[in-house]
Amino acid sequence: MSSHDSDTVLRTVGLTKRYGRVLALADLDLEVRRGHVYGFLGPNGAGKTTTIALILGLLAPSGGHVELFGQDTRAHLSEALRRTGAVLEGPSFYPHLSGRDNLRVWGGLSGAVDGKRVDELLELVGLRDRGRDKVRAYSLGMQQRLGLAAALLHEPELLVLDEPTNGLDPAGMREVRELIRELGQIGKTVFVSSHLLGEVEQMCDHVGIVKEGRLLTHGAVSALLRRGEALEMRVTDPERAVQVLEGLPWVNGIRRQDDRLVVEAPRVRAAELSRALADHQVYLAELRPRDSSLEEFFLEVTGEGEPRD
Amino acid sequence: MTSMLAAELLKVRKRWMPYVLLLVMAAGAAVQIWLLGYVSWRESEVEFQQSALRAFALPWSLSALLDAGQFWGAILVGILTASTVATEHGWGTVRQALIRGQTRNQYLAIKLLGSALIAAVSLLLAFGIGVCLSVIATAVADRPISLDVAGGPSALDILLMILRAGYGILPYGLLAFCLATVGRSTTVGVAGILLFMFGEAILLGVLGGIGGVAADARAFSMGHNVSALLAANRIGLGDYNSMAPRPNPLTSDLPDPAVAALVLALYCLAFLAIAFVTFRRRDIRG
Repeated sequence: MSSHDSDTVLRTVGLTKRYGRVLALADLDLEVRRGHVYGFLGPNGAGKTTTIALILGLLAPSGGHVELFGQDTRAHLSEALRRTGAVLEGPSFYPHLSGRDNLRVWGGLSGAVDGKRVDELLELVGLRDRGRDKVRAYSLGMQQRLGLAAALLHEPELLVLDEPTNGLDPAGMREVRELIRELGQIGKTVFVSSHLLGEVEQMCDHVGIVKEGRLLTHGAVSALLRRGEALEMRVTDPERAVQVLEGLPWVNGIRRQDDRLVVEAPRVRAAELSRALADHQVYLAELRPRDSSLEEFFLEVTGEGEPRD
Repeated sequence: MTSMLAAELLKVRKRWMPYVLLLVMAAGAAVQIWLLGYVSWRESEVEFQQSALRAFALPWSLSALLDAGQFWGAILVGILTASTVATEHGWGTVRQALIRGQTRNQYLAIKLLGSALIAAVSLLLAFGIGVCLSVIATAVADRPISLDVAGGPSALDILLMILRAGYGILPYGLLAFCLATVGRSTTVGVAGILLFMFGEAILLGVLGGIGGVAADARAFSMGHNVSALLAANRIGLGDYNSMAPRPNPLTSDLPDPAVAALVLALYCLAFLAIAFVTFRRRDIRG
């Protein structure tokens, strides 16, 4: 029996997937609540696509289970998927059909979808003029946009998107980002995997970071970034300053960047920090808060050099 | 369910394959009626004229067309079915279909139903074209266009004859469906059905030649039972030229058509069970 919470749209409980002796996903516990835009981040081979395939029932879990809309998908997959739209990694279409006919086919599988809705979506993703062309003539970016249209066709409550901006040019990426943000604003729940950290930072209000099949951290983006807060300063005696700062209990780390010190500490402690240094005859030449990006946070959490997927 | 079937039919009817199937079957019917039938009848010695006549003149041409249609139709339906099933894996569209709320059983059932409908329409059209050609050839040969001959069929008999031939195609279509589903490949489905049909025809010929228990073992094969069904389609006692390259045992050597239908039903169920169980348990990866 699932623990039903009407606000929880997607939940994974101890989700595990093995391929023979290879552990692709280990004991994943996720929760995505209604109206959230949840970014699912992780380096190459972290298990993001496996997680999405498990959520959508394409793969059978080796352990654990998925709940969609409060229902265990082992018993209610079909009903749950009728309320879900998805774009899988690498869009797939019938190449001998036009974009419009592809949407008619997908619409038929989702229950009857009328021609007006198909036209609306072609308009939304900027393919109205190319709707009658065969999909085999579409660029990857056009296919990606058609994939989004297919996912939105039956007005789903939950969207599961695997790398939705792959293959898009910068303008297309911005359009998709804005579309996803708008979907969040009108109350849709979005679960999106991406390797583009800046993109996730702009689109998502919540994020989960996965590595080697394990969830490392998750939470609201704003809260996670606060955890990475830092103060940047120039001081008269950096060596002495480091000694003083290391003695302060709320300083989480200190690193030198050229002639500056970057001190991982809450911004609200700036005055106390200044006083502590002055008490030891170290004086500030410059002090300012340093914005932490999701990329820095990601690198710190995953220990990765360069986040890629 | 109706909208899913409509979507499946939209996919299949916009492919070139059903039209090629129709064209090949219609061309085969034309060859059978004119070349193996009419021309052969005109050029033959008197003792062979009767069998040539049965290949093109009504009402015997109905049996001849259905006999050849079953054999070549089984191959073409096998190709159509294997391609319809396996290309979805090749294009990756099977994943897209399964994330839209269709159950896996529904997905396979709709695919099967769609292929069956398209194949049935194509084969019936080809049969209709063959009958039209037969009417023309019968008239050109200055023979009466009538069903009223010794052992001639009624309209109901003709319907039964069509159903028997169609039923003879079904296990081969399902074999191709099963192979393509399990192998996720058109090549596996098509090569499998061709190897099976020609291999089985050779084996049945060999077993019949050996006689005794070996000949009795033919009763378990698909081909022998299909021959039993088609033998029930014969009009009168005479034989006809057939384009189907398969052994033509004596009617007395064949199982009862009702028993044959039962054996074929078991084959059909086995192929369906293998396909559905495999597909339900499978991980669908990109």
